[in-house]
Amino acid sequence: MTVKNIVFIGMLFLGVVIAMVPENTTKPYKLTAEAMLVEVQGAAEMVSADDVAHWVISKDPSLQLIDVRTPDEFDKYHLEGAINIPLSVILRDEYRDYLDQGVKMNVLYSNGTLISHQAWMILRQLGFKNNYVLQGGLNYWFDTIMNPQEPSTLAANEEFAKYDFRKAASSALGGGGAVALTAPTQTQAEKPKVVRTKKKKAPQGGC
Amino acid sequence: MGPLIPQEIIGADWNLFIAFIIGIGFGFVLEQAGFSSSRKLAGMFYGYDTVVLKVFFTAAITAMLGLLFFSLFGWIDLNLVYVNPTFLGSAIVGGIIMGAGFIIGGFCPGTSVCAAAIGKIDAMVFIGGIFLGIFVFAEAFPLIKDFYMSGSFGGLKVPEVFGISSGVFAFLVIIAALIMFKLGELAEKKWPREEY
Repeated sequence: MTVKNIVFIGMLFLGVVIAMVPENTTKPYKLTAEAMLVEVQGAAEMVSADDVAHWVISKDPSLQLIDVRTPDEFDKYHLEGAINIPLSVILRDEYRDYLDQGVKMNVLYSNGTLISHQAWMILRQLGFKNNYVLQGGLNYWFDTIMNPQEPSTLAANEEFAKYDFRKAASSALGGGGAVALTAPTQTQAEKPKVVRTKKKKAPQGGC
Repeated sequence: MGPLIPQEIIGADWNLFIAFIIGIGFGFVLEQAGFSSSRKLAGMFYGYDTVVLKVFFTAAITAMLGLLFFSLFGWIDLNLVYVNPTFLGSAIVGGIIMGAGFIIGGFCPGTSVCAAAIGKIDAMVFIGGIFLGIFVFAEAFPLIKDFYMSGSFGGLKVPEVFGISSGVFAFLVIIAALIMFKLGELAEKKWPREEY
């Protein structure tokens, strides 16, 4: 048999093999276990409730809240501007444009942080960026933002600053137990002390 | 793992360097295969020498099988590989112009540079013609822009159009190539030339 015929038969054989094997067996998961461990330990995926409250009030256009709880729970209560992508259907194609993008900052939340973290892990392993988890979940959100507790008189100044912000945010977001508790005579809700971040101006003109 | 640059495993700055290395290899192989002879290239059209067909189809099959097997082994994510967008009208007309230039000049752009590098005068004239063509095209672009952009299909792949798996399509391409190789050899026997 000539070399040419051996090459021909080899090509044909490889062609038969590639025609019979299933397609797209490339592993969809992009991160190795080691890389994932580093990310999880760094906890860089967490965003604090205070930051999120700040963005919600300042109507930051780059924020996208994503509720990963069930539709029932979503209907009962959800954060302002949130969309509902339940964990059980998070892999559907219709949600992919929301989850795999490079423009917005997605903040996932659930009641605690278990389900939101499960969702985040799946998305991160798929290589999607810009997904974060609301620290403490909705429970913590209610405890701190919606019903802030006044720090003790001995607490540090920052605690008071934080409390002031949360009190203001609470009234802006429709909570407001705190306002009534600390200042029963005051009926006017305080305006949230929020510094609006100035958006960078788009470059004007051409060359 | 791959593709290396879209996955940011190596920086985009390496693009030109890698292209340079591959380009040298490509030129070397073209010269080794005798493609710096315009008679060999024209032989494809007259049927007395079908090496061009064999070399380029073998290259295509090698790359195709390589990519599909790499994908099978999880070494490359084919979704991240750039697919040149299809503009149907301009592709057909461009193909005809390219083919006509090929047989008139006896070179394709790559082989003309190759032949010029070993000192062939006709190849240097051919390269001059390429630059003249580029200049005319660029100047006339506003006139042909609408046609140039017509029939846009984006990054289209043949197996997707016919709804078959890329593996089956690869197999069909290999069958077609082997048949063409056989026909090429028959043509070489039918229209032989002693000296070229």
